[in-house]
Amino acid sequence: MSDMDIDHDPREAPRIVEAGQPEEEAEKDDLDHLFDLDDSEFEKIDNPWMAGIKPTGLSSSADVAGDIHQQLMLYYRHFFPFKPFFQWLNYDITPKPSKSFLNREICWTLMDETFIRFQSYRTLEDFKNDMIRLNPAKFDLGAIYNIRPKDRHMVRPAAFIPVSKEMVFDIDMTDYDEIRTCCSGAGVCTRCWEFMTVAMKIIDVAMRDDFGFKHILWVYSGRRGIHCWVADERARQLNNEQRKAIVSYLEVIKGGTQQGRKVKLPNTLHPSLSRSFETIQEHFRNIVFESQEILSEPENWEKILALIPDEGVQAQIRQEWENSPNRAPAHKWSDLLTIIGDEIAQHSGKRQALEHLPRDIMFQYTYPRLDDKVSTNINHLLKSPFCVHPKTGRVCVPIPIEDCEKFDPSSPPTVPKLVRELNHYDATHSVSDGDSKLQDWQKTSLREHVEYFERFVKGLSREIREKKQKDGASSKSLDF
Amino acid sequence: MFTQHNRKNRQLLASGIKSTYEDDLYPTRLNFYREPPPLEISIEEFEQFALDRMQVLQALLTAQMRNLTPEQLDKAVSEAIRKYMPMSPNSKSSTSHRQLMEERRKDHISHFILRLAYSRSQELRSWFLRAECALFRYRFEKEMLKDQLEFLEKQNLSWKKVSDEDKRLLKEKLKSSSFKPGNIDEETYFEVDFERVTGLVGRRQVYIQAGKAFVRLSDQVVLVLDEFKERLSHALEVTGRALPRMDEDDRLMPVLNNINKQYLGREFTSSAIAGEIQASDVDSVRVHMPLCMEHLHDELRREKHTRHGGRMQYGLFLKGIGLSLEQALLFWQMAFEKLTPEQFNKNYAYNVRHSYGMEGKRTDYTPYSCKSIIMNNAPGPGDHHGCPFRHFSIPNLRAQLAAHHVDEFDTDDIIHKVQQRHYQIACTRYYEVTRAKMVGISPENVKGGLSDSATGSLIASQEVIEHPNQFFEQSYLLMKNKNAEYEGGAASSSAAGAGGMGMDGVTGSAPLDATVKGRYTYKKANASISSNVQHDIDM
Repeated sequence: MSDMDIDHDPREAPRIVEAGQPEEEAEKDDLDHLFDLDDSEFEKIDNPWMAGIKPTGLSSSADVAGDIHQQLMLYYRHFFPFKPFFQWLNYDITPKPSKSFLNREICWTLMDETFIRFQSYRTLEDFKNDMIRLNPAKFDLGAIYNIRPKDRHMVRPAAFIPVSKEMVFDIDMTDYDEIRTCCSGAGVCTRCWEFMTVAMKIIDVAMRDDFGFKHILWVYSGRRGIHCWVADERARQLNNEQRKAIVSYLEVIKGGTQQGRKVKLPNTLHPSLSRSFETIQEHFRNIVFESQEILSEPENWEKILALIPDEGVQAQIRQEWENSPNRAPAHKWSDLLTIIGDEIAQHSGKRQALEHLPRDIMFQYTYPRLDDKVSTNINHLLKSPFCVHPKTGRVCVPIPIEDCEKFDPSSPPTVPKLVRELNHYDATHSVSDGDSKLQDWQKTSLREHVEYFERFVKGLSREIREKKQKDGASSKSLDF
Repeated sequence: MFTQHNRKNRQLLASGIKSTYEDDLYPTRLNFYREPPPLEISIEEFEQFALDRMQVLQALLTAQMRNLTPEQLDKAVSEAIRKYMPMSPNSKSSTSHRQLMEERRKDHISHFILRLAYSRSQELRSWFLRAECALFRYRFEKEMLKDQLEFLEKQNLSWKKVSDEDKRLLKEKLKSSSFKPGNIDEETYFEVDFERVTGLVGRRQVYIQAGKAFVRLSDQVVLVLDEFKERLSHALEVTGRALPRMDEDDRLMPVLNNINKQYLGREFTSSAIAGEIQASDVDSVRVHMPLCMEHLHDELRREKHTRHGGRMQYGLFLKGIGLSLEQALLFWQMAFEKLTPEQFNKNYAYNVRHSYGMEGKRTDYTPYSCKSIIMNNAPGPGDHHGCPFRHFSIPNLRAQLAAHHVDEFDTDDIIHKVQQRHYQIACTRYYEVTRAKMVGISPENVKGGLSDSATGSLIASQEVIEHPNQFFEQSYLLMKNKNAEYEGGAASSSAAGAGGMGMDGVTGSAPLDATVKGRYTYKKANASISSNVQHDIDM
């Protein structure tokens, strides 16, 4: 069933377009007017919650927890950080909406799973009003187009072109199902979350050191995964082919269900992989032996044995493990290393096949698994930060990369929690404290997350300002 | 565009500066084709040049598709070049200067004609871009270093050289970034933006740091090709946009239209046999499916679900064997039996209609070829699509072959081909072995003798399975002919009905003919596949 969950995702809908054609064409292809509804086709939604209900009226948390509609309505009205969100998408230092904001596709997903694609807004106010009016279950960000997505009918389909978007990554725990033993499908716990920690570390450093990007936002997807937004101007300008190259540069795990061994790296590791391997070595023991207990049960360790191409060696190791199944996993792993080492010492012809096998197994069990379609297509949708996950009720908060080790997927606030915090704050602070200017989110535990996000946006603004000054200076010097 | 230049050129010719002009124009065999050809040509020459270049491009792409060894590929391509568009290097003394220039002029002109002919749709453009890049690369790699450098010098490519100091600092990293590290100190490195060398980045064959890629001189072909591709791609867009304004020339357009119809590779569309197979027949034609589709089919039945990549690969294949849209919707809905009709309609019906060109931008998709299945969209965890010969582990592939009663000897042969990365040849071999069993003759006889007419001897005639639908149709046809023969007592062409016509249609030795005609035959025969199949199975 977890698989079907993925299929529900509207992000998949454009895929059908990409798949059947030459690569060069895919770029323009998502113009497929899926769920293509104009505003006029919408009934005005009459919702009593529109009438300015204050969450203060809801004292019991049970009331709030009951209805996700109600929760979201409260969330969008009181907690969604519109201002920094707008500043981010606007990629400018003035508050005036720029092309980046005006031409950005927003895709709303309503409660009944209707998707409204290709929406765009002239002002932050319009955007906000629509969000409150539609009360979406979630919304995705698409590409920035050459014209406003809402105006796309005014041009030929081929003249509606995505021009830029953040480079994004989507890592989902379901892709780890074949190697994780603690949970499956939608489930996630702190033990398997370590896979995500490794993924964040490896991708983050590659983005910074190898590709030179600086403005990277990691976001909890609300349930079982993480998203990464690389927002540098250079990253936003990448075309599909370049995005594909980055993904393929990062990608190590290849093959479908029928492909047992999914990692086969050359003898000499590329510098970026040597660096990743260090991270893998730090985590491999803990994830694979302790958390996932891969070497504790024959059912799981057989999967490791299946990766060994030499049947003799395979049998030797199996024997060793079966003889003392309760030995510590670390010891079992050293059995594997020793037996492989001995075999190479006796038959030098087997060096090529066996020497780097343990290393490749470590990669297969620890290295990040990317959903590459999300990254390689400029017009692919990805759920926006600060949505509320409709199933878990948790806010999709940014995760500072320096805190990735500490992050607990059950820690981000839920709407009922935010409401309680807000009520508590208002009850314990009087208006005269000068708090009247505070945004509601500032009175809750969402604050630290929004403030982190604001620092991220500020970093971008600083760079945009510097660039403008530089451009301004150089164009002035030309004038004279 | 073209014609305007002709006018200008007439003047050039008249002023008698032709030879000096040409000297500047073609210093080497390589050409970035930045400027349109400055010469006048006749309409006959126009067409002949274009067709000759097509032959070369075609030969090159076909050779690449066939998984030939580099030597075989080189032989096939150089033969085509010698025959249709010889291009002598500067060093060849037996060729007069005038002749050299003539050859290069033809190259130049023919490129521009095809550029015009292939600029009108995205599909044509991307085919042409691929073909021309392949040809440029082939030529560049054949060129002597001296001529390469001379060519590059003229192109004003601004590549920044890495200083010795930096090279020393990065030595270890540079070394581990290439497969065959030579002497780093002697190697020249260029520093370019990583965006420009996507191929090297994607294969992890270049060191990158803070967005800069350090590219070796010996990898420069990548840079040159990148440059070539980018310019040509841009030029094609521009030409494509300008084309509607050219329509007034009624001499050129028919020729151009004719040229771009010449060859786009063989595609399987459903039109030929649309609507002749029902959703309920799919299980019974499974025996004719290639391994990839059979696997997808079995997994679909087992899991009652298929992920996106599998739905595309299998769905379009079914479309290709004649499943109509209506039947396809029925097939998928029944297959996803765990879903309610509402769930199916909401989540999948759109995609099915889309692949039949009934939604979105209404492209009528064609089934994937082997090449695209092997090269594009490799399966990820949980996926079942892809090519079993390419994407299964060897033990899994062995198990599959064993399940199809391929004996040990043939299995080893197939596995050996897989290990040499000849996936399509492995599949072809699989075809021969299993189909021989199916019709109850030895594989040797599939190759020669009696059934040669139906399957062709695929290997002997250098023909390989290039398309899952080709596999299916050949298999299907083979069985049908066998049945016809059985019924008619002898392989007499006078046997009435579908079988007889099938035999007629496929007596040629070229299997390509066989399938095309075969398809035609069972369309003409007006016999529904479903009843035939039922019959086949009974046999």
